[in-house]
Amino acid sequence: MQLSNRLIKWLISGPPLVFLLIFFVAPSLIMIVTSFRLPGEFGGLAPLTIFSEHTSIDSGLTLETYQFFLSDWIYLEIFLKSFFIATLTTIICIAMAYPLALLIANSPRKFRNLMIMLVVLPFASNFLIRVYAWMIILGPESTLSHVINHILGVLGLEPVTLLFSPFAVLIGMVYVHLPFMILPLYTNLEKHDPILLDAAQDLGANRWQQFWCVTWPLSLPGIFSGSALVFIPVLGMFAIPDILGGTGDIMIGNLIKDQFLGTRDWPFGSTLSIMLTIAVLGATVFFTWLARSVMRSP
Amino acid sequence: MLGLSIRNLALILVVWLSGCSGMDSMTSDKTNTRTLQLFNWNNYIAPETIQRFETTCNCQVKQDYFSDNEEMLAKLAAGATGYDLIVPTGNALHTLIRQQALLPLNKAQLPNLKNIESAYLNTRFDPDNQFSVPYAYTLTLLGYNKNKIQELGLPTDTWALIFEPEYLQKIKHRVTVLDSPRELMASALLYLGYSANDQDEAHWNQAEALIIRAKPYWAAFSNTSYIRELAIGDLWVVQGYSNDLFQAALDAHKTGRSFAIDYTIPRQGAVMSLDSMVIHRSGQHPDLAHQFINFMMDGKNSAELTNLIGSGNPNRDATAFIRPELTHYPVIFPDPSALLHLEMLTDLNHKQRRALSRIWTEIKLR
Repeated sequence: MQLSNRLIKWLISGPPLVFLLIFFVAPSLIMIVTSFRLPGEFGGLAPLTIFSEHTSIDSGLTLETYQFFLSDWIYLEIFLKSFFIATLTTIICIAMAYPLALLIANSPRKFRNLMIMLVVLPFASNFLIRVYAWMIILGPESTLSHVINHILGVLGLEPVTLLFSPFAVLIGMVYVHLPFMILPLYTNLEKHDPILLDAAQDLGANRWQQFWCVTWPLSLPGIFSGSALVFIPVLGMFAIPDILGGTGDIMIGNLIKDQFLGTRDWPFGSTLSIMLTIAVLGATVFFTWLARSVMRSP
Repeated sequence: MLGLSIRNLALILVVWLSGCSGMDSMTSDKTNTRTLQLFNWNNYIAPETIQRFETTCNCQVKQDYFSDNEEMLAKLAAGATGYDLIVPTGNALHTLIRQQALLPLNKAQLPNLKNIESAYLNTRFDPDNQFSVPYAYTLTLLGYNKNKIQELGLPTDTWALIFEPEYLQKIKHRVTVLDSPRELMASALLYLGYSANDQDEAHWNQAEALIIRAKPYWAAFSNTSYIRELAIGDLWVVQGYSNDLFQAALDAHKTGRSFAIDYTIPRQGAVMSLDSMVIHRSGQHPDLAHQFINFMMDGKNSAELTNLIGSGNPNRDATAFIRPELTHYPVIFPDPSALLHLEMLTDLNHKQRRALSRIWTEIKLR
């Protein structure tokens, strides 16, 4: 009986485990090895001496790429910048998603599914097409640009360009990732027992106190999972800065993409990816720790 | 429930079997005609040309596409085989030759080789054209909104237009440059009076400083979206590829805009990307590939390509067949003096690629 129980456990956890092994552990190992190699003449990797008999090329394993990474501040700067953008996007997403999730959770049950469907609806069209649409909305000849610059002109201020700016990148990031914040928050808020709020009211709490002392602490798990779903993809995003960004809006994702597609420097691309993976794992550990410590304290 | 699913299964099996037999009969029909496997850029041959070749050779042409030399090399490196004919750019051609991936050409099968302008033969990538024959080329140029630039009184024959703040301040945030380290550095080096292929570190640093000084005036780095933005009037000046600028000019004209798009070769020179036809070792029909190369060197067939996408044409005989409104473009048939200023980019080694990437990152960050 116990044996079959254990067997069932393995059968259930086996497939995801194999999946992780093939699609996470194996590629990560390949990446780690690649980061210690040298780029080949035509791209790819330089041949290892141990595999070829009569060649004078002796690349072997080397720390050169890591030295190159540490030799210049600019790479660290790009990491910090990407973290800043990811944090800002997450905060804006929380601020925008919270009221909406609360509204949906407090709506009559028959409307909720419709509203959730509306939140998910943008996924029906391709992500890139939606980002390209912002190019038209924010373009210098667009109505929005004209209206904003007209208002600025009346106030006696310099006209601004909306497209190709950090502002456009932030809009794109928030727009694309907002549903990932709304959905976990809604799932959390929906489960709250309204009796708790009634009890708080009976004990003399006003509306603000009801929210701050009851709803908010209970919704923290939703915020944390939403934050992870927003923060981590934003950190590695390259398409949005490519399309909406200006001349200075480079993020870590763009840098990695360039190494593989432009520079043909797989080792450096791998080194950067490993650094990013470490940073993301670090961020996850931090979020988990934060979540635990906040929820433990009353 | 079970009975139903078994019946479904049987049904699927029947459909599948009949599908297979159908496929068999189709493929056996085709084995009589040979198929030329072409690995080409997107939109780089007129459909009429393909049809004409199919009727003359009694064969079929099947095309696969790439949008980037790197992509093509990567696909071949990953083991793609069976391509008879590939159309790489100079530096990728050089790589393919050094990888010994190409078959030497049999010139006896290529009588039309005489049509090719000698300036485009014997490139440094393939001296004596042992492996390659020129197909068409694009130039990296200045494209601009003609009316706007005239209105502002700016010069159009110099790279200064995208590098000098004195001009840039009049067109601030209406300029894009290519999101390509090699192309942008080449333009900067040419403007500074060096070769586009200059590999001196001090010169690279000068070019970097020039780019960083001009950067605040640019709207973005853009490789493709500038075509549309230029054609609708959002952008006024771009560094772009000649066939893309041809497209933008055509779009602006077709949609009846109040302005025209034009493009010129700056007097300091420009980068030329000469695409060549080569025969891959893995191909099944080298004879057919030779036939195709000779066919494409015929003036009429070569001209169709220029008429379609506005690419530069290395074929002397094509002139007569090119649409008259295109022949005045110095970009399609540069005069000999302009030709002297056109350079083809060579490949960099991995140390140089890494150094350039670092400069590029710095440019993006500052």
